[in-house]
Amino acid sequence: MAGVRFEGVGKRFGSVEAVRELSLEIADGEFMVLVGPSGSGKTTALRMLAGLEAISSGSIFIGDRVVNQVAPRERDIAMVFQDYALYPQMTVFDNLAFGLRRRKVPGADIQRRVAEAARVLDLEALLQRRPGQLSGGQAQRVALGRALVREPQVFLMDEPLSNLDAKLRTQTRGEIRRLQQEVDTTTVYVTHDQVEAMTMGDRIAVMNEGRLEQVGTPEELYERPANRFVAGFIGSPAMSFFTGAEVGLNLPNVVGVRPEHVRPWREGLIGPLKGRIAFVEALGRETFVGVDVGEARLVVFEEGRAERDVGDEIEFGLVESGLRYFDADSGAAL
Amino acid sequence: MAVAAPLEAASREGSPGERPPGEPRLVGYLYLLPAFVVFAGFVLYPLYRAAYISLWDWDGLTAGTWAGFDNYAEVFTDEDLRAAFVHALILLLFYAVLPLLIGLALAGVMARARVRGLAFFRAVLFLPQVVAMVVVALMWKMIYQPTDGALNRFLGWFGIEGRSWLGDFNLALPSVGLVGTYVYFGLAMVLLTAGVQKIPTSLYDAARVDGAGPFREFLAVTLPGLRGEIAVALTLTTIYALRNFDLVYITTSGGPGNATSVPAFQVFSRAFESGQVGSAAAVGITLTVIIFIISLGINRIAERST
Repeated sequence: MAGVRFEGVGKRFGSVEAVRELSLEIADGEFMVLVGPSGSGKTTALRMLAGLEAISSGSIFIGDRVVNQVAPRERDIAMVFQDYALYPQMTVFDNLAFGLRRRKVPGADIQRRVAEAARVLDLEALLQRRPGQLSGGQAQRVALGRALVREPQVFLMDEPLSNLDAKLRTQTRGEIRRLQQEVDTTTVYVTHDQVEAMTMGDRIAVMNEGRLEQVGTPEELYERPANRFVAGFIGSPAMSFFTGAEVGLNLPNVVGVRPEHVRPWREGLIGPLKGRIAFVEALGRETFVGVDVGEARLVVFEEGRAERDVGDEIEFGLVESGLRYFDADSGAAL
Repeated sequence: MAVAAPLEAASREGSPGERPPGEPRLVGYLYLLPAFVVFAGFVLYPLYRAAYISLWDWDGLTAGTWAGFDNYAEVFTDEDLRAAFVHALILLLFYAVLPLLIGLALAGVMARARVRGLAFFRAVLFLPQVVAMVVVALMWKMIYQPTDGALNRFLGWFGIEGRSWLGDFNLALPSVGLVGTYVYFGLAMVLLTAGVQKIPTSLYDAARVDGAGPFREFLAVTLPGLRGEIAVALTLTTIYALRNFDLVYITTSGGPGNATSVPAFQVFSRAFESGQVGSAAAVGITLTVIIFIISLGINRIAERST
């Protein structure tokens, strides 16, 4: 196994700079999630690590080896693709064995490793089927198995759950995390879903417009976002931003506050603030109420199912310890 | 029971409530009728007539005599006819196999490197398909001319002695075949290069990460991904090869001797030159059956391996 290091890595497609000066160190055995909106450069970064895209500048290390000029097949990596990329004409067994055969692994070893992966991923009954005969979840497990049997130095995963339905996604999230901890292989996982990032990553690297905005543990990103972008991207529903003037409070700079720190009015909160309800999201255990206050929109958190109607007035306040301050120009956390 | 009877009656009549929406009604066949009448008049009836005539010994003018399956037996026993079918099979190599191999090679290269100006190259290489076969045949007849044909002059620049490409017993058939390759490789190439673009690039990425080199990548990704297109290209070019007439008629008229004679040429020559209409019909029907069987076989294989 090995760690991974990006050192000032850049990628240009003509005049478009997809990745700018990316420097990131991923420890041996770490589960690193690259997260960001589409076009943020996360997939390009992953593909450069895989050797599927050439690097325009900088260096990528796998272990101590610079791999800038190394072909994908010689990087000792395995990759899981968004659309699974299973060979449609091959059986599940042959799909799993393909990479091992290319590496001239002895037949008995191939049998053993495929059987082991099939057992771990519950694929034993499917080994003679073809990808066209599998459900989305099964195909996804085969794609994982294909990476697992290779026993590589690094797993690369490019949005592997985005084609699954919500329930299966939650289930597979846990399964991937469990497998990774079992084999303890360095993993770089790309997603645009911040919930996946928060629940799976040892650390998360947030990317935006080709730049690395912040790297840290899920807790660090949630509690101490480095800038407005990270603050707004991590957390669901997103952090609300406003200025003191907009809501009639004496607060400096741009203020960010997460829904759980915006509560119906009671003593001890900052406020009271009054606004008109713009939307109500009742999720059963909790209710998020979108409130327009002047130019700003804040999201109020209420326990249980709150009986609120769009257009009604609501009185609420802010939890002081939950307020975050950002520079109005640069967006950097203060 | 008293209630069930009217319900059954309603379902027999095909009441709208009983039929899934969008399912064709019997009246739909009425809409097919005009096309079917044309098809029957110009395809099915001539086919039936040809099959009927093939059972007679008939010169096309006077009364024929019943021959049973003698004309069909002749297809297998008559040396000229047997040779014509063998020539057709040899031409299959030039019309179907060679264009397919060239198309696959191009598709394989294109799968790894996206080619700029592809639409232009495709249009240029497809041009021979657009030009009338008569024009292509005349052009190649001129190119192949022994005295001042372009090919011999070109070879002359390198000190290679020119040949009588269409007059030589050994060279005539491959020479005609290569014209077929020239015409049909554009078709195979257009089908295959279009097909290769719909293969997900992630499959190529996966193969590369899995350790496949260019050749293995071709075998594992490109070739299986093009199965449908290969079947279409093979079916079309096989049909063209077997029913080939105009090219042979214009370039060699089946000669020298019978060296380039093909079944369709035999049909023409027997029906309109030597007054063996029954035999011509038997050759035509045999050719139809062979084309049908080969096409069916190609598509069965393509479907089975999906």
